[in-house]
Amino acid sequence: MSLNLIYHFQSSQNQNEHFMPPNYRVIYFFSENGMLDRAFLQEMSKSVPDADHMNLSFSNLEDLKVFALRVCLDLAKKEVRLISAQDYNIGIDGATDQKSYKNIFDKYGELAINTSFKKKGLLSKLFS
Amino acid sequence: MTYEENIKKFDVVRPGEQWFLYWNTSAALWETRIQEIPQNEIVFIPIYWGLHGVSLSEWDFGSTRPECDLLRLVHLLTRYGRSFCWIIPLTPSPFLPNGGVPTFAARSLSISYDGVHLAVFDQEMNFNKMYSYFEPKVFQSFSQFLKGFGHFLSTNQIHAPVWGSEFYFYHNGRRYSFLEDHSISFDQGFSRFLKKNNPLGVELSDQLHEFSLKENFQNEVALLFEATAETALAPFWKGSQKITCLGSSPEETIQRSLAGGKSQLDYTKDLFEHYVNSEWISSVLLTPVEKKGLLTSILKEHYGTFAIEKRYNLSPFKKNMSNEFSPYGVIDIFGGRRELINNKIGLTSYLDKFFPWLYQIQERVDFTSEWIDSNQHKIKIFQGKELDRTTFAQILKLFLMGQKVLINRSEMGEGFEKKIQIFLIENNIKVQNVNFMTFTQVCELGEGRLILFEANKLIENNHKEKYWDHIFQYLHLTQPEIKMDQDVFTLWRIRATSEDELSYLDVRRLNIYNPTSYKKSVKIKTHKHFALMKMIDPNRANAKSTPEGVDIEILPQGKIALDFGHYEES
Repeated sequence: MSLNLIYHFQSSQNQNEHFMPPNYRVIYFFSENGMLDRAFLQEMSKSVPDADHMNLSFSNLEDLKVFALRVCLDLAKKEVRLISAQDYNIGIDGATDQKSYKNIFDKYGELAINTSFKKKGLLSKLFS
Repeated sequence: MTYEENIKKFDVVRPGEQWFLYWNTSAALWETRIQEIPQNEIVFIPIYWGLHGVSLSEWDFGSTRPECDLLRLVHLLTRYGRSFCWIIPLTPSPFLPNGGVPTFAARSLSISYDGVHLAVFDQEMNFNKMYSYFEPKVFQSFSQFLKGFGHFLSTNQIHAPVWGSEFYFYHNGRRYSFLEDHSISFDQGFSRFLKKNNPLGVELSDQLHEFSLKENFQNEVALLFEATAETALAPFWKGSQKITCLGSSPEETIQRSLAGGKSQLDYTKDLFEHYVNSEWISSVLLTPVEKKGLLTSILKEHYGTFAIEKRYNLSPFKKNMSNEFSPYGVIDIFGGRRELINNKIGLTSYLDKFFPWLYQIQERVDFTSEWIDSNQHKIKIFQGKELDRTTFAQILKLFLMGQKVLINRSEMGEGFEKKIQIFLIENNIKVQNVNFMTFTQVCELGEGRLILFEANKLIENNHKEKYWDHIFQYLHLTQPEIKMDQDVFTLWRIRATSEDELSYLDVRRLNIYNPTSYKKSVKIKTHKHFALMKMIDPNRANAKSTPEGVDIEILPQGKIALDFGHYEES
């Protein structure tokens, strides 16, 4: 029922005399059915006007969360777990099989809950 | 079939491409397993070099542990008359724990371009983490292992060929070497490389310059591993192969951990992409569930013994067509891989539409008489900016021999431009200048055609496919026309005619696959040059002859093959 997002944090740096602000770039965003479509994610990222929509890059963690929850809302998912590449790597270091690998997201991911999510009852499922 | 039933049938020792993973079973069972291998199959034995490592200076080839007893393995193979080759990994290997690196040298995990550790699920869903080959201790261990292995081969007079292998994963249309690493081990190695090559220091303010230096460093390290292996195993060394392992990219690791996994359709798309790019693959990482159904058929039919032996130069190159089916294509593209992937000049999208999987992107020209004869019928497209003098001379020879050659002259060196013009004048060759979308020169000599065009002028043109339509109509390719639904895959093969088929020039087999969950249809127009001979092994598919050709209906996961006789062209 949940989504998972792995992001890469790049701290601010000077490049060719240009100052590059820090950014949080989405590397992988997936549900239990597989990777989410990039064009769909780019469209969703427009909910954060300051984001780099093409590269799915955000200037702070709050904006990344807003985006992730917007995707959650659109896909009617209950929650999304956000995990940095560094934490994902720590998880990989300790994982030994499929089960422990899948646990990385529960163990290290930061949970963001879609408060608008309502679990469908049997009747609503039948009539939807 | 349930997963449990499927896994019982699945062979973890021989998971694909004739590989024999000796460490995946008890040494006591090797004999039984070897007896099961078909007599005509050459056995490929990848070396799990980390398994043989006791310490940096001590390598066990059977003196202590039976599972390392390669001499016993060789004796068994010889006793049962099986030919074999060794495979030495020149990069981290995704099908091996630690990527193959011995535990005493595995220090720093490799990091991908995306900043995540490289880790892969194997065919039993064991989680293999890749360790950096840039760690100095890995190279020291590798050299020591090679020394020990070379000594083992020569002492025991084992003359089987040794092939080096560089392993790759595939992501978004690009192949990435498992050697590529963005960890601290790479950075430390890179600074040593910079210090050595620039004792006075180097300014790295330009990112592109830094990328290029890093690429040079990686290439140097790749060459170092290969050269060390070649030197240590010189009498047995046959060369190296680049192998793309299906299911091994960081994204695929995530996909494969999910309940739905990676779909058969996506694997089929990858497989056909590798086919077009002439890339060799390995399916050893795929689980029984991933490999079930259509994927197994495609692998067997197009990556089976025939293809393997051709790839490893184990079967003699035949000048003339044989009675066995061999892959058939009509266009070879040399160079310009990056531009082709981006489809800037509209060529690949045109070919995908009208000649799907009938073209291949090649790395180099193999200018032997066998190659020239067996590829006589193919249109060859070259990128002028990538030509060297040898290839340039070979292209002109191909044209003089009556072959059809296209050269993209954009950014071609001035020297070559002059040489072409001199060649045309000296040989009194008729030249037609055409101004349609771009400037094109068409040269004719007997059957030979040489077309010079400026592809850069096509980039901005929204109707560039029309240009290719005119070119290929002019070149007159005789090929049945196929109209098919999306996500249906086809591959052609060809063979010589037998005694009772003399009314044909050759026989062509079309394999059609539907890896989707939907019913699909395919219409083939034979254009009076081809006659349907027979239908082979239809599985969830049927075909019916029509006045225009053949209509096929193919159910989900269905496949069918059709043989066509090719008539004399009027």
